[in-house]
Amino acid sequence: MQIHELTAVETAKAIKEKKFSSVEAVKAGFERISKYEGHVGALITTLEEEALRKASEIDSRLARGEDAGPLAGVPYIVKDNFCTHGIRTTCSSRILENWKPTYNASPVNYMNDAGAILMAKANLDEFAMGSSTENSIIGPTKNPRDLRRVPGGSSGGSAAAVAAGYVPVALGTDTGGSVRQPAAFCGIQGLKPSYGEVSRYGIIAYCSALDQVSPLARSVEDLAVAMEILARADSSDTTCDGYDRPKFSGALSTENLKGCRIGVFAGFEASQMDPDLYGALSKAGDMCREAGAAVEPIDLPIAVKYGVATYYVTALADASSKLGCYDGIRYGTHIDGPTLADMYANTRTASFGEEVRRRIILGTCLLTEGFYQNYYGPALKVRTKMTEEFDGIFEKYDAYLLPTTPSLPYLLGTKETDPNRMYLGDVFTVPISLGGLPGLNLSMGFNGDGLPLSVQIVGPRYGDSKVLGVASVLERMIGRPRVCDPRALGEVA
Amino acid sequence: MADFSKRPVVIGLEVHIQLSTDTKLFCSCPTDYIGKEPNSNTCPICLAVPGTLPLLNDRAVALGSRMGLGLHGEIQHYSNFHRKNYFYPDLAKAYQITQYGLTISVGGYLDIESEGGAKRVRVHHLHLEEDAGKLVHPTADGRLTGAAYSLVDYNRGGVPLSEIVSEPDMSSPAEARDYVVRLRQLARYLDVSDGEMESGSLRVDANISLSNPDGSYGTRVEIKNMNSLKSLERALMYEISRQNKVLDSGGRIIQETRLWDDAEEVTRSMRNKETASDYRYYPEMDLAPIVITDDQIDKFRRSMPELPWEKRERFADCFGLSKEETSILTEQKELARYYEDVVSNGAPPSRAANWVRMEVLRSLNEHGLRDIRDFKVRPELLAELVKRVEAREISSTAAKEVLDLLASGEPDLGEAIKRVGAPAGRVTGDDLSALADRILSENPDVADAIRSGQDKKGGKVKFLQGLVMKETKGQADPKEASEVLSRKLGF
Repeated sequence: MQIHELTAVETAKAIKEKKFSSVEAVKAGFERISKYEGHVGALITTLEEEALRKASEIDSRLARGEDAGPLAGVPYIVKDNFCTHGIRTTCSSRILENWKPTYNASPVNYMNDAGAILMAKANLDEFAMGSSTENSIIGPTKNPRDLRRVPGGSSGGSAAAVAAGYVPVALGTDTGGSVRQPAAFCGIQGLKPSYGEVSRYGIIAYCSALDQVSPLARSVEDLAVAMEILARADSSDTTCDGYDRPKFSGALSTENLKGCRIGVFAGFEASQMDPDLYGALSKAGDMCREAGAAVEPIDLPIAVKYGVATYYVTALADASSKLGCYDGIRYGTHIDGPTLADMYANTRTASFGEEVRRRIILGTCLLTEGFYQNYYGPALKVRTKMTEEFDGIFEKYDAYLLPTTPSLPYLLGTKETDPNRMYLGDVFTVPISLGGLPGLNLSMGFNGDGLPLSVQIVGPRYGDSKVLGVASVLERMIGRPRVCDPRALGEVA
Repeated sequence: MADFSKRPVVIGLEVHIQLSTDTKLFCSCPTDYIGKEPNSNTCPICLAVPGTLPLLNDRAVALGSRMGLGLHGEIQHYSNFHRKNYFYPDLAKAYQITQYGLTISVGGYLDIESEGGAKRVRVHHLHLEEDAGKLVHPTADGRLTGAAYSLVDYNRGGVPLSEIVSEPDMSSPAEARDYVVRLRQLARYLDVSDGEMESGSLRVDANISLSNPDGSYGTRVEIKNMNSLKSLERALMYEISRQNKVLDSGGRIIQETRLWDDAEEVTRSMRNKETASDYRYYPEMDLAPIVITDDQIDKFRRSMPELPWEKRERFADCFGLSKEETSILTEQKELARYYEDVVSNGAPPSRAANWVRMEVLRSLNEHGLRDIRDFKVRPELLAELVKRVEAREISSTAAKEVLDLLASGEPDLGEAIKRVGAPAGRVTGDDLSALADRILSENPDVADAIRSGQDKKGGKVKFLQGLVMKETKGQADPKEASEVLSRKLGF
């Protein structure tokens, strides 16, 4: 196997055993980047010089026999909404085009402390608002599995980078599916942890109530190791839980699913979604049964019916106030005008993309007197009902399987003109976010056209370990996703 | 002058007090913004740098709870924060983090005493919120109008405030004033705030309406921008007259916010209901809710000092002081403490009360001191002085001069008495006679006038008597002095 095909854990082990150096691992990553980035467009900023310097530092530390951390020398990438000290952090927006933070996001510090080497900042939908990574200042990212298709979003750059073998592991953020859906579209693994597992300090917010830092990788084991690094109490984020977290990699020793009770989503007919994805869900259920679990079909009526509406009301309302700080005064783009109001309007109109402006306007409207009572108030109530629905499920079941997305990755430019259609693609991911639950996208191989299939494994709040356990059993049965050399597939029927 | 009889006045107040924490409400920047270089007390959090999150200052929660308890409010086990959204350059996040709905303390009351007698003003709630920054307009009058540009200073942004919202229980500007005075006193007693209105540590917004003939509330008007107790009273007075005039002429009061103009002594319309901001309150999801346990509430309760009204009662009971005396002595807790120290050093309570109330306060004023703790005459020294007066070792008149010397920096009581030149013991007999002779010879015109019968009212004799008393530093008996003088003048 070549270096770029290894998982993060395998890479760390090889570097530790001096099979190759961290510098070599970084160089291997940049070889992939220089070969394919022109086609994929996953990265906003690359950090080759710094990465090589840090890699050689790690190599020296290892040579001296020091413990340089669990991911010593392993390359990684973060989405460009993670603040990085002295490194441009754009959020894919013109308003932060040239902004360099003066501090690192906590998760970036954690990864650096674990010895991982930051290679680049990945593309995203502007302010993480979108499901296709098409709303970006650098243009769309393409899906490495089929360059004519979207990689999903908003963490499309991170997912594409992992699938294309730039790095074994990347960080994204998932608010309503922004890591799980691109992981599904790019055929890799991605875990949105329970809300409160990972610090949000230094993550440029989209929706404070739902944003969660989420790792993407090509193995469940890598996700578990990343969780051990990322999930910890942070005195800088009071919404990050202070509880003693389990050793997530312990879940990997789950041998089978005997004694497990697993629910499988039964709310849709095969005709209501992509048949291949419907098939992948059934297959995952069968595999669970084969692994010894008691598997039962179970519906999710409230969450599926009201999830998308509730999510957009919640997220847009939050975003409309959270994005108020981009006023052209302290940082970011400033466009003057004859009055204060003109300055605000000029700056924000010219510097936010269409989707961001749409969401700010909708969110502002939702919180306005009258609308609040009709939309935000009910949304809160529905969220409570959904939580009760999930509580009911997890009283009976250890894990719940449902699709990650209702459709396969679509062709570039086909959905961004219809936001409503794009929003409905979130039907299976947003309820999990609203419930604060852990959700893992597991790659389930490919359909006949070579497009990635997947399933979503969900657990109770703070049951991230359980989810990793089920995922690792299924992954052993179906096989880990492989790196792909980015290419366009032939004509699709 | 405002007419209160025509239509009953209904006033409710919203008082913001700056909590005396060392650091801001959601970050660790210092709170002492006065006189600081603009934007020097700032950090990524209070500048709303992307990715930062607020961190709640526990001390602010403790001080807010203390104030709530002082107001007899109910401290809530669970409360949270909201975002109050509006765009203005002094608000870095474009929202103010404030409590809304679920607040840290609910209910309570404050007893006031004004010309209308004792009254209980109910408190609706107390909540925590952050202050905004400040805009500086480079115009001659410091106003926005005509400014080519404005500068913004975020030093004050994020400083913790507690807002105390009263029920509409006050019915005159004097009551409103007294409510604020009592609230400020409470805040100072509790070390919750310095409560200075001039520096903006205490800010008052007033809601005022005139009741309808059927007794129902009239339309409410909010008044802002009153920077002193005096302007609070004047603004309310003005508003009562204005509203009465509008109603007398058949007009209607419109619901609006008006700004008090201290120079012109008028209120001016700032915005009305139609143009009022919709703040789009939204729960602040970046902060965990405030959870206060029963144990913590107990702890807050146990740490409460003696409150002003408790102290007043105790002073009356233990020291036998009058209502007026207790209220002056307990006005500031530092003064009350000083008084108690004077008494505990052996001065008789009633005489000590007089000395502190009259002479000490006068001296403080003369020395331009605001805090008794800066006063050079420490309580033990004053106690010693009072005891000597009590033992008739020194006259009251001389003792006052001694006090002035001590207050000006003379550290030694004996030395001060010597410097005042007060003779030890009394001036009488031959000494007094010799002094009278000297006074008469030094004032021959006055003596002649008296002898020629021009002192029908006795004023001139009194003048000479005063000179004798002054020379003796009060150590002569005024009656004896008068007799000696009269004898020497031949009647």
